[in-house]
Amino acid sequence: MTAVTRWMRRILLVVRGRSVEQSMDDELRYHIECEVAERVNAGQPPAAARLAALRDFGGLESVKEEARDARGTRRVEDFLGDLRNAVRVLRRNGGVTTAAVLTFALGIGAAGAIFCVVYGVLLRPLPYKDPGRLVAVWEHNIPRNRDRNVVSVANFEAWRDRNQVFEGMAALVPRPVTLVDGDIPERVMGAEVSAGYFRLLGVTPFLGRDFNAEDAAADRDTVVLSHGFWMRRFGGDPSVVGRRLQVSGKPHTVAGVMPASFEPPRFGWLVVQDLWFPFAGTPENRAWGRFLLVVARLRPHTSLENARAEMAVLGQQLAGESPANKGWGITVVSLAEQITGDVRTALVIVLAAAGLLFVIAVTNVATLMLSLLRRRAQELATRRAIGASDRRLFWQLWTESGLLGACGTAVGFMTLIPGVRVLLSLAPPDVPRLESIRLDAPILAAVAAIACLAIAVFGAVAAAFGRSAAVSFRPLTGSDARTSPRAGGATLVAAEIAVALALGVMATLMVRSFASLRAVDLGFATDGVVAARVSLVGPRTESPASLHAFFETLLERVRTLPGVQSAGLISTRPFGGLGPATEASDPMQPEGTATRSAVADIRWVDTTLFQTLRIPVLRGRTFDSTEASGTPHVVISESMADALWPQQNPLGRRLHLDLYNGITVEVLGIVRDVYLMDPRTPVRPVAYLSDARFPSETRDVVVRVNGDPGAVVPFLRSVLAALEPDVPLFQVTTMPDLVDRTVASDRFTTFLLSAFAGVALLLGGVGVFGVISSDVARRRKEIGIRMALGATASTVVLMMVKQALLRASIGVGCGGALALVAAYSMRSLLFGVPPTDPLSFLLVATALLSLATVATLVPAAQALRSSPVTSLREG
Amino acid sequence: MLSHLPDLLQGTLDLLILKSLAPAPLHGWAISKRIQQMSSDVLTVNQGSLYPALYRLEDRGWIASKPALSPEGRRIKVYRLTAAGRRQLSHEIDAWRHFARAVDQLVAT
Repeated sequence: MTAVTRWMRRILLVVRGRSVEQSMDDELRYHIECEVAERVNAGQPPAAARLAALRDFGGLESVKEEARDARGTRRVEDFLGDLRNAVRVLRRNGGVTTAAVLTFALGIGAAGAIFCVVYGVLLRPLPYKDPGRLVAVWEHNIPRNRDRNVVSVANFEAWRDRNQVFEGMAALVPRPVTLVDGDIPERVMGAEVSAGYFRLLGVTPFLGRDFNAEDAAADRDTVVLSHGFWMRRFGGDPSVVGRRLQVSGKPHTVAGVMPASFEPPRFGWLVVQDLWFPFAGTPENRAWGRFLLVVARLRPHTSLENARAEMAVLGQQLAGESPANKGWGITVVSLAEQITGDVRTALVIVLAAAGLLFVIAVTNVATLMLSLLRRRAQELATRRAIGASDRRLFWQLWTESGLLGACGTAVGFMTLIPGVRVLLSLAPPDVPRLESIRLDAPILAAVAAIACLAIAVFGAVAAAFGRSAAVSFRPLTGSDARTSPRAGGATLVAAEIAVALALGVMATLMVRSFASLRAVDLGFATDGVVAARVSLVGPRTESPASLHAFFETLLERVRTLPGVQSAGLISTRPFGGLGPATEASDPMQPEGTATRSAVADIRWVDTTLFQTLRIPVLRGRTFDSTEASGTPHVVISESMADALWPQQNPLGRRLHLDLYNGITVEVLGIVRDVYLMDPRTPVRPVAYLSDARFPSETRDVVVRVNGDPGAVVPFLRSVLAALEPDVPLFQVTTMPDLVDRTVASDRFTTFLLSAFAGVALLLGGVGVFGVISSDVARRRKEIGIRMALGATASTVVLMMVKQALLRASIGVGCGGALALVAAYSMRSLLFGVPPTDPLSFLLVATALLSLATVATLVPAAQALRSSPVTSLREG
Repeated sequence: MLSHLPDLLQGTLDLLILKSLAPAPLHGWAISKRIQQMSSDVLTVNQGSLYPALYRLEDRGWIASKPALSPEGRRIKVYRLTAAGRRQLSHEIDAWRHFARAVDQLVAT
């Protein structure tokens, strides 16, 4: 019989207690009857036989008692007794119990929900076959120190064909397309993928097939759909395979549909992938420069380090072979790290904060347990005096803690599902892998294990404290034998203050960082601006003139809409993502001069863009209607002017740009620096070219309106539909929303840390107040004596405040060290605030010390108000 | 009657009970009678220690009980040997033989 089945049987016996007793009684009585019957058969008179049988048997009750012990159920019965007693104790102290249960539940709920999110995003394996072997491979721009640069087609092919460490390698490039199927044109995000991409990730099509070598080699008119897109757009119709779709004006055949379980890896520019097209290297795209994302699968038993070492050697070979690869190396990172790297620090910090909150909650539960035990010192001492062994006492105290913890855990578990749901609704949209966040067995097991650990901690504290309280209590005088202040309480106060300080500092730093992030002057005015993207298809794209004419007409019509102040064009709106960048150089400066060249972001704009976004013109002028012919002009940003012509007049200078196979442009004007990516990325030099001179089919239309910018969107759509019914308006956002989105993850972190710090401060305050006030209450007699001997109220209060502040200062000291560690580990999240920001530290430390003072003053004042005589008499 | 040899019985009571149950399941009184009978009336189990021993063996999983009715129609419990009990019995027999041989040798010298 295994230990488990034996305990099961014992528990069963206890549960069926009455019938077990009855059957024992039956059995013993039957034994005596048999004994009597035997004696009667042997010739004894019945009465004498019964008497003799009973005598031989011995005391019935003592046999029963011995038999009960032998059943092995004594410990189960003891436990049940302890449990009943614990229920009684907790119910009698309903207030303290409720507070402790809720505090513990809060800790479990907060820590558990955050853990669930962090586990889903960071720890759960990627949903691909053998995901540990998947990596992302990048080019490494060594001089500019950019180790995650996109890859050129030629290098991708060289890596794929010449490496010895990867089982397979695939390239991807985003391909937004316009889909016309029915009346409403739709802009869809797709990706071109090289042969073997799906097999590399270990997914097989749900319907049809994926790409084969011929798709890539011959013509590229096949397309594979994602399950979600297939459901949304085609209602899950299986006959879609083999159907022809108009994709960006060209018919494509649907080859297959991927399964619903396939979540394409989200990294780099790849966010949404609704459909896929085959990709292959061509002489044309080999000359385009770097634009590919590359994923690869390590051979079995090949480590990441091996792969890095071999790819480093290959990178050096390639750098020697081609001038285009000079100064370039290769970066290999695991795909999991690639996907989640950006949010890792923030999530780990939030998890750490939740852990600290949990520590405070557990400490608070411990202080509540102690206050409960202090009130029960008499009961415990009495139990001990009438014979309860230390072991029994210990188990009984443990049972109380366990019951309390179990209730707290149960309530905490109930808050997990809504907690996770709240977190998901708050989470910024750019957090990857939100779909893999779910509450399942491993998470619940981990949370339960942490809960058990916490219960063990405060259970041990309570058991040790309860025992010592029972030992030192004098039942006769009703007083505690000890006179020194309680060390346990002081430690708890210091611990709570330390942890609250660390959390408080983390939150304050994050709030200040967020404030300075929001205070960044972006260089343009966002209010009242809406931006929308147009990608023209059809006959009007055939000549530059007709392209330009289309956008001119579109803008003219938009400007006549009600409420529109101005409307302009830009190739990619600020905060709208990365645009092209190129080398810009001043041909007049000698080679090798530091100010000869700079890397410039290029934007194409029309004549009214600067006015629409309110980007101030500092010198010269911007484009006008004469720009279509003559020498091409350029408008440069302030930092561009500083980079090439510091303290000189750049107007009229010539600039060489590495675009369109090299062009030379003349500087027409200088505009203020603008943040193009997000408020964290420092401004970079920008060169603005004229859209009239270099038209393109895809442009952002930027519109400034009076009042709500969202209200103009339906009008924009109808203006466009009237001009080109098959062209959709997409990526429609107001600029304030767009700016908001770039700080969404900062807002998330700031919100959570502030919420945790707030709760921690509240819990810490309650805990500190509880410990100190019960301490003061215990010392009323001492205060009475001091007052009777002539101490003034102020000296007594001062003495107590001094003691409380001493304890709090120990906490502040330890907490300061903890906060410093926390602040340094979150420094990559901070913007415009150093991790050692003295203001944050001082603010939180002062707040906590004031809290400790108030927590002393209130109970001290109460103690002083009662007369010394009463206090002495009450003891 | 050797009921005044409690030490000997204490150590061997488990063996006696297990052995008595080896042929067939029995109820409590029958077990004590069977032991008495098998030992030709030399060994008598004190009832006061029989039932605690039965419950202890049941807790260990060596015997199992089942409710039954006596010929007179009274509710009783019938004990039987489990597979683990059979194994334990052969262990106890080996241990007893070992012990008895050692005592024999000691007495013979």
